[in-house]
Amino acid sequence: MGKSLKKIARTFIFTFTLLLAVNVQAQDKAVTGTVTSAIDSQELPGVNVLEKGTTNGVVADFDGNYSISVSGEDAILVFSYVGFTTQEISVSGKTEINVAMTEDATTLDEVVLVGYGTQLKREITGSVQTVDVDDFRDMPVSQVAQKLQGQLTGVQINQTTGKPGQGMSVRIRGQLSVSGGSDPLYVIDGFPITGGINAINPDEIETISVLKDAASTSLYGSRAANGVVLITTKKGRAGETNVSLNVSTGFQTVPMRGRLEMMNSVEFAQFKNEYYSDQGDPVPSIFQNPSQYEGQTNDWYDALLQTAPVQSYNLTVTSNKEKSRTTVIAGVYKQDGVVLNSDYERYSLRMNSEYDISDKVRVGFNLAPSYIKDNTPRTDGSRGQGILFNALHTWPIMPIYDDSGELTYFNRLPSSTGNIFSYANWVRSAQEIVNETKDINLLTNAFLEYKPIPGLTLKTSINSEIYNSRYKFFSPSTATFRINRPIPATSESSRNELNNFSWLNENLATYDRSFGDHDFQVLGGFTYQEFRQDRTTIGLDTFSDDRLPTIQGAANINRGSTNDFVQEWSLVSFLSRLTYNYKGKYLLTGSIRSDGSSRFGSENRWGTFPSVSAGWVASDEEFLQNIESLSMAKIRASYGVTGNNNIGNYTQYALINNVQNAAFGNDLVPGSAVSSLSNSNLGWETTKQFDIGLDLSLFNDRLAFVYDYYTKNTTNLLFNVQVPQESGFTNFSDNIGEIRFWGHEFGINTVNTTGKLKWTTSANISFNRNVVESLADGIDRVYGSWHVTKVGEPFGQFYGHIADGNYLNQADLDSSPQVPGRSTVGSIKLIDVNGDGVITRGGDNDDRAVMGNPFPDFTYGITNTLKYGNFDFTVVGTGSQGNELLVRHLFSTTNLDGVFNMLKAVGDRFRSEANPGAGFYGTTVGGGNVTGIERDWVNSRFVTDASYFNIRNITLGYTLSGIKNYFKSARIYASAQNVHIFTKYWGGPNPEISTQNNGQGDGGNLSQGVDLSGYPVPRTITFGVNLNF
Amino acid sequence: MKKITILFGILGLLVTSCDDELTIFPEDSLSADTFFKTEADFEQAVNGAYVPLRTIVDNRAWLLGEMHSDNTYYARNVLFGATEQQEDIADFAIPSDNGVTTNTHVTNQYIQDYRIIARTNQILATIDEVELDAGAKANLKGQALFLRGYAYLELVRYFGSVPLHLVPVTTREEAALPLASSESIYAQIVTDVQEAIQLLPVKSQQTPGRVTSGAARTLLANVYMIQQNWAQAETLLREVVQSNEYSLMANYADAFSGNTANKNNAESVFEVQFKEGPEGLDGNFIYAFMPRPITAEEVASLTGTSNAQPVNGEGNNIPTPDIIAAYEAGDLRKNASIDSITLSGGFWKDGTYPIIKKFRDNHSLHNNHGMNWPVYRYSEVLLFLAEALNEQGDAEAATYLNLVRTRAGLGAAAGDLGEAIFNERRVELAFENKRWFDLVRTGRAVSVITAYGNRIKATPSDYYYPDGAAPRTNAFSNISLLYALPASESDLSPEF
Repeated sequence: MGKSLKKIARTFIFTFTLLLAVNVQAQDKAVTGTVTSAIDSQELPGVNVLEKGTTNGVVADFDGNYSISVSGEDAILVFSYVGFTTQEISVSGKTEINVAMTEDATTLDEVVLVGYGTQLKREITGSVQTVDVDDFRDMPVSQVAQKLQGQLTGVQINQTTGKPGQGMSVRIRGQLSVSGGSDPLYVIDGFPITGGINAINPDEIETISVLKDAASTSLYGSRAANGVVLITTKKGRAGETNVSLNVSTGFQTVPMRGRLEMMNSVEFAQFKNEYYSDQGDPVPSIFQNPSQYEGQTNDWYDALLQTAPVQSYNLTVTSNKEKSRTTVIAGVYKQDGVVLNSDYERYSLRMNSEYDISDKVRVGFNLAPSYIKDNTPRTDGSRGQGILFNALHTWPIMPIYDDSGELTYFNRLPSSTGNIFSYANWVRSAQEIVNETKDINLLTNAFLEYKPIPGLTLKTSINSEIYNSRYKFFSPSTATFRINRPIPATSESSRNELNNFSWLNENLATYDRSFGDHDFQVLGGFTYQEFRQDRTTIGLDTFSDDRLPTIQGAANINRGSTNDFVQEWSLVSFLSRLTYNYKGKYLLTGSIRSDGSSRFGSENRWGTFPSVSAGWVASDEEFLQNIESLSMAKIRASYGVTGNNNIGNYTQYALINNVQNAAFGNDLVPGSAVSSLSNSNLGWETTKQFDIGLDLSLFNDRLAFVYDYYTKNTTNLLFNVQVPQESGFTNFSDNIGEIRFWGHEFGINTVNTTGKLKWTTSANISFNRNVVESLADGIDRVYGSWHVTKVGEPFGQFYGHIADGNYLNQADLDSSPQVPGRSTVGSIKLIDVNGDGVITRGGDNDDRAVMGNPFPDFTYGITNTLKYGNFDFTVVGTGSQGNELLVRHLFSTTNLDGVFNMLKAVGDRFRSEANPGAGFYGTTVGGGNVTGIERDWVNSRFVTDASYFNIRNITLGYTLSGIKNYFKSARIYASAQNVHIFTKYWGGPNPEISTQNNGQGDGGNLSQGVDLSGYPVPRTITFGVNLNF
Repeated sequence: MKKITILFGILGLLVTSCDDELTIFPEDSLSADTFFKTEADFEQAVNGAYVPLRTIVDNRAWLLGEMHSDNTYYARNVLFGATEQQEDIADFAIPSDNGVTTNTHVTNQYIQDYRIIARTNQILATIDEVELDAGAKANLKGQALFLRGYAYLELVRYFGSVPLHLVPVTTREEAALPLASSESIYAQIVTDVQEAIQLLPVKSQQTPGRVTSGAARTLLANVYMIQQNWAQAETLLREVVQSNEYSLMANYADAFSGNTANKNNAESVFEVQFKEGPEGLDGNFIYAFMPRPITAEEVASLTGTSNAQPVNGEGNNIPTPDIIAAYEAGDLRKNASIDSITLSGGFWKDGTYPIIKKFRDNHSLHNNHGMNWPVYRYSEVLLFLAEALNEQGDAEAATYLNLVRTRAGLGAAAGDLGEAIFNERRVELAFENKRWFDLVRTGRAVSVITAYGNRIKATPSDYYYPDGAAPRTNAFSNISLLYALPASESDLSPEF
């Protein structure tokens, strides 16, 4: 991390200097010089030269030369550069000052991006972590969040599905809400965007700052409670025009590790044979001789997978002229998916330019269009929703190909074989179903900055975000993703067109001033943001020709799924921050933001979000000066209030549902009904957070250590409180309840060896906890899909019956609590939690209990970087401990009725008192009345530990020398992503999974950690070159 | 520099009035603040109040009122699980603890009835404050009162004591009310429906399909029949008969709505309206009544659709041998009401199951049909009148009974007239969700169902159990006259 922070700091000092630089000609006295490295006496480009106590600064050029006009002969110049000790040199009348910078691992003099400004890292009093994305530029992934996995302390980043370009879940400090969103706020070049960050080419990003505590985030007010991620894109760098090209290509595969072990044809036929004979029924002829299927297994799951190529091209041109700076980044990313017929393409461009119009006025424009085309079959979801799940439990004796080698269309055996669910050919489904999204994204920023007097900066900006997304689904008559749809099926299509437009005007004034040892900075601002979304969905079916999936080609337009939607919000804000420090040693910051939002009820329109923080650089105190090994020690504390406004745009209103139509005779008449209750007091969720932290740097900065403890209480949770439906309504949206979160975060960076072999390590570990303090009056729990959120316990725990093996014999059955009318010898035995002698599901005598928890005890990451000569080598590992998953697909893949293919382990089930099996799976005798309990009453057998350690990335690079006539530099590398996962998780290949539920339960915050067998996360191996011209 | 100062000034003024900027009403739906102002608004609201009836009769009422009796049963599909919700109703084995049950069908019936009540409460709370044409207002208000009364009649018959909501709920606190006694619920129904009778037009003056004064009189008479208030029932029923708005269809089979034809015919007093097509106004109840697994071809033979799909699961509402035997020899209604289907994949005997015929009509799209569901037919008015008269010792009862029997091709009833009327109701109104209520109303439920349960347990193969399959051990273990209240409501309400 040391290296990355240096690079960040370099970038930021540079950017910061540019931001604040005022034309040198306005100054009085010129000083010039050359900056070199004390180690090898080489010129050092990019060093920041700043006149102390002012915002006047320049950057040394490519040859280490600088020229600065200072205000007078007493001026002091501050030379800073990442990895080198900052030097202060008094001008004292000299006109030439040459400086030799000494190397220093100190990272604390870096400038770090914070909300609405920048700060010296050593003066920061909140909890902020910064990552230089360039350090992970070789990772063969499409999304920046994938690059951040394992790098951020206190931030859990999971890849919940392997679908190309999708599925990253980012949670800062475990933040959760019952029904409000929990994604952090993403701010790109100062613009809080309304969409996610997946559309952004990671190569456009320079640094990412994650703001975690309330002091850092509260300036973002009602959107800050989930944490804030500040992203800066690449700006013109020092030096001459620079052109760099990064190209990589590689392939992806699905590892064998973690794939479910399903029955082969022989085992399946054997199971079916036993199923009938155990019931005393005649065995259907096709199962009488299981060995006939030897070598004839159709592995439907494997048939859907492929080895898939991935390619990435990025061209970056930077130019830094006297009065203008421009960066252009053009990127092409193409990835085929490891599931058949899935592909993802992204074409992106970004142009960032800045112009100095005069000494005091600067303008800048950023323009970033991108186009994404994404085609993925309906892979994820429950039975009949996702084809991967469908494929898993399709009978292995059913042929994928017919005798002539063509894909079959439809597999259905007589119902006398127990084949009550018919299956389409999922390979055909993958190939023929169109499930395509085309996105156009345009981000723009324009700013005007004016410095009327020294220290005062006025800045106004207009930002806009235009997003257009066109989704098209078409399932021809020859294919379906559903179960039990004979082929030819009814062809169906759905369309979704989305247009988002958001704009923001931001007006900020910053005033910097020093009085002796007292440094002040005051920030004031006013911002206004609007958002509008227009969405149209169309449902169609019964096409006259599969080749013409047009609207006019459909016989039916499905009224129920053809709709128009409009979503709008507006946000008016006032913000202010005061930063003060005394001698750089005692640090104090206070900030406040007031947000007025159209989402809030008319009685509760404005929210105010204050914070205070303080820091003490103890190592600057005299009594610690003589501790040689201590480079820096800072203690900091903060407290503040933030909000979460992800409460829906119109939740406060009682809405009329105007499609409650009726028929009289054969005539349709329009009908309406009030569909929700109004709440004019509805507001944001409030989070009050306290943070205390320690920054420590030892042994000449060879070891840097960061620790934070936080505790936060989220109150006024947006909660659709269920109300008795005797009211005619299902719920009432209110701000109710409280969750407490707390945690410990540790980060460490070490320089293990220097010299020829440079080895650095950065590692972090985070412990996040939560407990539900209260819900609504009279409500002590809310249920998720297979989850409960109970007062006094952690959020969103798995909830169901506790399995206790099988009833081993009649005596066991007679002496144990039973499910009335359903339990038999050999069927699953459940714990009688309430001790009333019978097993009951739901109601007042419910025997369900907490079965586990999807949240980890701790998460961790470790990155090792080695450099030897021209070689560089990086290994990133991430892990999670104590998280559990609910293996939901077991309701099909261990269904004892023999209607699906099953896990191999089901073969070893209870068959008789003499042959009780492994004690895990129960008897098949008695049909659904008996087996349904084991299958449908989710029990603790479905829950399993999913702790893992993933070798996320290994990259090996070699920098070529001696080709300077062609390139400034050239580097070749090989990079492998998702190298290996160490885990005991057996429910599927991805221990980070959390399947979207597609109609089964809410799949939201209350129902996390469910494995419905999603798109596998591939292992990717790429080879690439970085060329600088 | 001045220019720039001006520019900043302008930007600062961009937002002049925050509160205007911060008030955004949804563009894609109306909100209650602006609704309930015009006649069209109220007409839409009344139309919306009819909507839950579709769900009720399509999905629930036949489970709770018909399969929960000796008239129909389910056709056990041993390969299929997750059917216990329906089976528990047919088997009188609904688990109930402390007077509540988790049975989803019971819960949904309750919810849908209260949805009607909430919608009508909203109308009734505001309609008097708005200036509307007097005739239109009376008609709309009368419909709302009828629907509220009807919903409460369903609730009080299913559950007995339930919360009595008469004004719209606006806060969370108002959502739960204490259980009101069944007497007070009945009293409210009487008040509502009496007012509705005054407000509603007769059938010939009303849009076909909407409720009428005749329907309201029948509904109120039904209440009086339950209360054994024979004289007042008689008065109302005579008014219906003498209104000359209704007559029996010549053929029994024609009494029932077709897919598009014969809706709201001369015999129809009130029927729940369905409409075939993609608008979401369709029903699919006849699919629920098919034994399964049934192939696409077999489905097509019943429905005439061109895109028939196979249907799996467990078939419900299959006529029992008991109801089949209840028809007298020569009763024309038997073949009009019941026929049979032979399933190639059937599990029971040779795969030939009886199936309800009377509601069936050919339609074009799979699982989407437009047949209306009869709630009150004129023949029931006649049978009610016969019963009310007979209970008062009036021999004119036989006249009305025989009107119904004559149409069925039968002669005058023999034996005890009260018994004859009771039996006549069973076959005339078979599968119209009357049987359970008649058993309860006449005090016969426990004895009839106990005997019925014993027959099923003794000879399950007569009741569509495949060879070797037996009724569940908890079958017929909970024969009670009322359904337990929904557990999900009990969880949320402090009142029960």
